[in-house]
Amino acid sequence: MKTIRTPSVLWALPAAILIAGVLVYPALRALLLSFSHYGLSTAFETRFAGIDNFRRLLGDSRFHSSFAVTALFVAVSVVLEFFLGLGLALAASRLIRGQKIARTLLLIPWTLPTAVTGVLWAWILNDQFGILNYVLAKAGVLDQPIAWLAQPAPALASVIAVDVWKTVPFVFLILLAGLQSIPSELYEAIAVDGGGAWAAFRYVTWPHLVPFAFIALIFRIIQAFAIFDLVYVLTGGGPGGATETISVYAYQTTMRYLDFSYGATIAVALVAVLAVIAVTLRLVLREAE
Amino acid sequence: MRILAKISTTVLLVVLVGLSVLRPASSAGSLSILMEPDGSGIWRELFADFHRKNPDIEVELVEGPPSTNTREDMYSTAFLAGSGGFDVVYGDVVWVPKFAAAGWLLDLTDRLSADDLQDFLPADLEGGTYEGRLYRIPAFTDAGLLFYRKDLVPEPPSTFEELRTYAKQYKNPDRWGFLWQGKQYEGLVTVFLEVLWGHGGDWIDPATRTVHLDEPEAIRALAFMVDLIGNESPPGVTTHTEEDTRNLFQSGHAVFLRNWLYVWRLADQGGAIKKDQVGFTAMVHEPNRKSAATLGGWGFAISRFTKNPEAAWRLVEFLARSDSLAQVQQRVGLIPARKSQVPAEFLPILLNARPRPAIPEYAQASDILQRSLSAALTGRVSPDEALREAARQTRLLLQSE
Repeated sequence: MKTIRTPSVLWALPAAILIAGVLVYPALRALLLSFSHYGLSTAFETRFAGIDNFRRLLGDSRFHSSFAVTALFVAVSVVLEFFLGLGLALAASRLIRGQKIARTLLLIPWTLPTAVTGVLWAWILNDQFGILNYVLAKAGVLDQPIAWLAQPAPALASVIAVDVWKTVPFVFLILLAGLQSIPSELYEAIAVDGGGAWAAFRYVTWPHLVPFAFIALIFRIIQAFAIFDLVYVLTGGGPGGATETISVYAYQTTMRYLDFSYGATIAVALVAVLAVIAVTLRLVLREAE
Repeated sequence: MRILAKISTTVLLVVLVGLSVLRPASSAGSLSILMEPDGSGIWRELFADFHRKNPDIEVELVEGPPSTNTREDMYSTAFLAGSGGFDVVYGDVVWVPKFAAAGWLLDLTDRLSADDLQDFLPADLEGGTYEGRLYRIPAFTDAGLLFYRKDLVPEPPSTFEELRTYAKQYKNPDRWGFLWQGKQYEGLVTVFLEVLWGHGGDWIDPATRTVHLDEPEAIRALAFMVDLIGNESPPGVTTHTEEDTRNLFQSGHAVFLRNWLYVWRLADQGGAIKKDQVGFTAMVHEPNRKSAATLGGWGFAISRFTKNPEAAWRLVEFLARSDSLAQVQQRVGLIPARKSQVPAEFLPILLNARPRPAIPEYAQASDILQRSLSAALTGRVSPDEALREAARQTRLLLQSE
């Protein structure tokens, strides 16, 4: 019998077309736009701009501020998420009974769509009717309700807290998988050698966990850097731009100001920053391995 | 697997949302319009009535979110996609320049009858005009007013000095002198404009695209507002929007309140304060300057992409007629933008109302101003620095292309 061999390239074709359509084309279009003037001010005609947009970006105080907000958001939220997720994973891995229930319960925040999470927390944090102020007032912590989302520092803290609430489960899940992949003989061996709990963590748990930790971190850092939906629903970037991230600024520029080329420039800058972070993390990971 | 499940859920959601937005292109005889939630049901009634009188035209009401900005963005998105979007626009007065400059609205200049031209309030017509052409038919008007406690203040103030004197005199530990909207949002711009115009200053001249924000009048206006905070106005005023200030005023915690027309309608439904204790007047001004109220309000426009411009015009004409407007007024209290229908007590203030600058870049210019005002009001920079920076950024915005 003769087998007909289809060239493997054909099998890849549908996927390639899909990716070209939804990924490669928009990316190239955005890159092209960032070197053009295109939008309401040009009556939607494309004009070559050279590096005008990037020069504008360097002098744009609003971009600087959104960059700073994003960097602060990423630093604080990812660190918190990582350590809370690690603590929960370690605790859950010790559970002999109820591990599945604990895992399922912990996953709930992560399964909610981000927009729903945002609306939910906007009500919890509402200064007049929110349950948080109510509980804090009943407990005697507050004499006056706090307008969590109306003042710069509490607003950013709230966005970070909600993001932590939502994504700790993600870190938890990946690290728990890592923990479960460690053979128990290793722990027995280190116990025989007289090592305590710290030694077990330092010499068995952590070295095995490093690759999982990096996966969790890479995912979290990239997602956090591009955060849009949570901020848009919760604060819209306010008050006073105190929670305006790069993505929110790009959205406002594109959809409200109808300045497509500058919006694309902001997006391109965001991708450039993410690329640098990804490469750096990869180098660090290679080092660690 | 979980990631896979998450991805497929996301894809499914996107598809569903996409399907709900992409409605089939309106066939001849069907019009769609995006509005705020029709809580009272009055719009649906009007559309049903229209359909009875025009059996060949059906109106599909899309109830959008209550946030004005979000609905503005929804209209923009639909226009960017071209045909298949909304046929008729129910729009805020500040959307007009952007939508008109983008070429998304039909020119309605020659459609309006001479009688209507006479009857609509001049500021509302001006607010619907871009570069000399009319794109939006006025429906409901709004303007900023200064409400005061008639039972305390012997006569309404007319200058900033008098306002402060009365506010100081009648405030007490439980009652602030003057409430206004100081949160960073569009409302703050409308308050600032009234204070600015009362000082004889201006923001942007739409004809010449000149920026006046760093002139002495503007700096004095902002300094006046900054100076109120912690004295006549509560520190929390920088987080207040319309409803916060109305509730405080109507529960007796303020002598003066700057707010919109709707407060008068609700003056009897307040808490401690009854309607006969409240009066209103135009925003105050500097001696030998003129005060002006910031114009708000809603109107109807027609999408350039509609397949049915004649049907769309019939609907707009029907909705902007006095009896339709009167029905909405009766049900939800909006004030028709027609001289013949405006309650007499509001007419002098409405005839004096001024629209915000009609420039396509309005949304961005407003964001720049809001940020600078907010920075000054929260004490992060001086009024002088704030407005210089705002002027610099606005000039950059307006000169680029």
